[in-house]
Amino acid sequence: MPRLRKSGELKALQRELQEKNRNFRSTIVICGGTGCQASKSPEVIAAIRKEIARQGLDKDILVRSTGCHGFCEQGPIMVFEPGNLFYCHVSPEDAAAIVEKTVIKGEIIEELLYTDPVSGLKVAKEEDIPFYSSQDRFLLSYSKKVDPCSIEDYIAIGGYSAIERALSEIDPETVISEISAAGLRGRGGAGFPTGRKWAEAREVPGDEKYVICNADEGDPGAYMDRCLLEANPHLVLEGMMIGAWAVGASQGYIYVRKEYPLAVKHARIAVQQAREMGLLGENILGSSFSFDVEIARGGGAFVCGESTALMASIEGKVGEPRPKDVHTVKEGLWNKPTVLNNVETWANVPSIIMNGSSWFASKGTKGSKGTKIFALTGQVKNTGLVEVAMGTTLRSIVFDIGGGPKNGKAIKAVQTGGPSGGCLPVSKFDQPVDFDSLTDAGSMMGSGGMVVMDEGTCMVDVAKYFLSFLQDESCGKCVPCRIGVDRMLEIVTDITEGRGRPEQLSLLKELAETVSETSLCGLGKTASNPVLSTLRYFQEEYAAHVNHKSCPAGVCKALINYTIRPEKCSGCGLCLKACPHEAITGEKKKAHYIKPQECMKCGICVSECKFEAITVN
Amino acid sequence: MQQYVTLSIDGVPVRAPKGSSVLDAALNHGICIPHLCHVPTLSDTGACRLCIVEHVRNGWGKVTASCTLTVQEGMVILSNSEKVKKLRRNIAELLVAQAPNSRAVQDIAVRCGVKEVRYPFRNENCIQCGRCVRYCKEIWRADAIGFLGRGKNRRVDFPFGVKPEFCKNCGSCTLYCPMSVTPCEGPMKRGQERLCGKCESQLSLAENVPGACVRCELGKGFQCARHTA
Repeated sequence: MPRLRKSGELKALQRELQEKNRNFRSTIVICGGTGCQASKSPEVIAAIRKEIARQGLDKDILVRSTGCHGFCEQGPIMVFEPGNLFYCHVSPEDAAAIVEKTVIKGEIIEELLYTDPVSGLKVAKEEDIPFYSSQDRFLLSYSKKVDPCSIEDYIAIGGYSAIERALSEIDPETVISEISAAGLRGRGGAGFPTGRKWAEAREVPGDEKYVICNADEGDPGAYMDRCLLEANPHLVLEGMMIGAWAVGASQGYIYVRKEYPLAVKHARIAVQQAREMGLLGENILGSSFSFDVEIARGGGAFVCGESTALMASIEGKVGEPRPKDVHTVKEGLWNKPTVLNNVETWANVPSIIMNGSSWFASKGTKGSKGTKIFALTGQVKNTGLVEVAMGTTLRSIVFDIGGGPKNGKAIKAVQTGGPSGGCLPVSKFDQPVDFDSLTDAGSMMGSGGMVVMDEGTCMVDVAKYFLSFLQDESCGKCVPCRIGVDRMLEIVTDITEGRGRPEQLSLLKELAETVSETSLCGLGKTASNPVLSTLRYFQEEYAAHVNHKSCPAGVCKALINYTIRPEKCSGCGLCLKACPHEAITGEKKKAHYIKPQECMKCGICVSECKFEAITVN
Repeated sequence: MQQYVTLSIDGVPVRAPKGSSVLDAALNHGICIPHLCHVPTLSDTGACRLCIVEHVRNGWGKVTASCTLTVQEGMVILSNSEKVKKLRRNIAELLVAQAPNSRAVQDIAVRCGVKEVRYPFRNENCIQCGRCVRYCKEIWRADAIGFLGRGKNRRVDFPFGVKPEFCKNCGSCTLYCPMSVTPCEGPMKRGQERLCGKCESQLSLAENVPGACVRCELGKGFQCARHTA
């Protein structure tokens, strides 16, 4: 690639690349994100490329392997441009048929089309799929357009124009005031105004400043940051460059966890390509601005997503947080002024510079602007990455995009914000999703995990799950988090195993408040949210566990019993064969019986029974 | 020349050297804030959270550890508000339930007003205040011990569990360990742990004269700054 030395050269290159892409008749976009890779997308891509070459179409058809499209459960995903014909669950064996029928003859292969689980109809075009059409995709829309390993693709769609504009036309102060006017708030969880953070960092005296991209995403079920970094690392890189220019930093770090090998790989390739083109290094695009980025791999500790622990980890120390009475914008990495932002925050920056703050602020609510990506998982029909404008209601996300409950059971709650977030009941579903209203409701935006739970979920069990995660991931430095979370888990375990006492509920609440008030870092301060929010909205479930020793959802093993209703049992013997503990007895064609002492309450018999004869009580 | 700032602790104007911690400023003026991981001459980490205070800004009190909070001009600190007392009592309760076999911890529990322990006792030998680790590192520059593991499995140990050559056998780690002095009646056996509460009688004076240090001698076990001064 040519090295870019002046600002005009980028525009020329962009035109040249666009011209080159125009030579292709159409493009086959195949998702190569981690989710689709797990369902064999590399093989699909290779097979399609081979088939295209065999048919001699490689000059007409472009095959692009991209990052995650967000609809991972349907993977591998294939989209044909122009036209946006959408195929899902594509296998390598389909390659010949796809090229033969769809590419050459323009026919649609019915079997590969997406079936909408709500209406049961086949949908041909991507934009007609309810999962996509109900979203407001901006950041995620990029992932279809670029090959993450190709800087040319990114430049062709206008990439690096924002940093060029910032360097040649606007001074750092204006960049910061634009970001402030846009109302961009940190996407990592706390929602701190990005513009204010940058302004503070700029004001701190000192030549050596740092910018860091936090890609140490560790919430169970959340993968927005991974997707962005995998699908479009150059976008994040460009955001960091603009931030560095604004605050006066010359070194940046991308801290990405090692469990994201593809994100690490793509980020490394992106940095290497940007260096080769002169977009990183000394005197970028002929300006006085010099900047370089290093990739720091995290060891997979949840707590290293906390800013001070992350910086300690980059410095080579144990990843434990330190008190933040002095903010990291003043004393951060190596005690120098440091701006740390989340992947998604950085990814939002270039478009604000290109399109202006009013464009960004036109979406969202009063206090929260722009769009936000959520990882929708749990008991809904459609799961995946969802990008919506701030202020969209939970109901719209769960029912319009998610398609409603999966197993016919009524939806009970949504857990937002990962382990530090809280569970919101159906009565809160009409609340707009933004930083302030989620915090008011006792949960938090977090980095954007969203787990939907139905009637078959026990809220005490959910609290127990998150507490055990947090107890595992606590660094152990301060007493409230190390011992307090452990004690909360002890109490909740007692409750789920039928040893709960009424006075433990008030103790649990008091302890949860103590942990959230006194812990050292943000992890501990939010660690009691799962307990506090479930106690607030699902008090009656706790009461049932403690007072009546029963689990209304039928989840807590110590509190439930499986029994066979003789009037419904046909004596088919399926449960008897399936039971791994040989706890079921009975003669053929006669009602069977579960021996309570030997039953391990695994629930296999329930799923085997075709007559709904086995009940949980 | 040493510069000073003036702050208010519990309504009392206190003059403290610039750069010192709120905890030091308070202790130097006889305002006894319970503390455990803090040792004069060592750096502060804010691990035990016993020395929490309310830092009042714009009418809103933020709870934070005073050992890691640097004094600032005009700062308003509440070290003994009802909220702080309650939180501190809860932390002391967690500590004494974890390690009842320490006179220092038992004393702290009583001083913080713990009347009963609502959790099952665990009888552990270490409460991870990190005094030994910091003393070894900062005073002897030996770094012979450190923290290993994370969360529940975090513990103090030698590197790779083997005593290194550079351990100077100075014994400071045990000298500064709050666990090395057992309660007056000797170590409690498993299953017999309790809140000993023996020191409570000596506290009556302190309760009558709030904010004034009574040089209670209770700090002996865990090197209270007033005691060593």
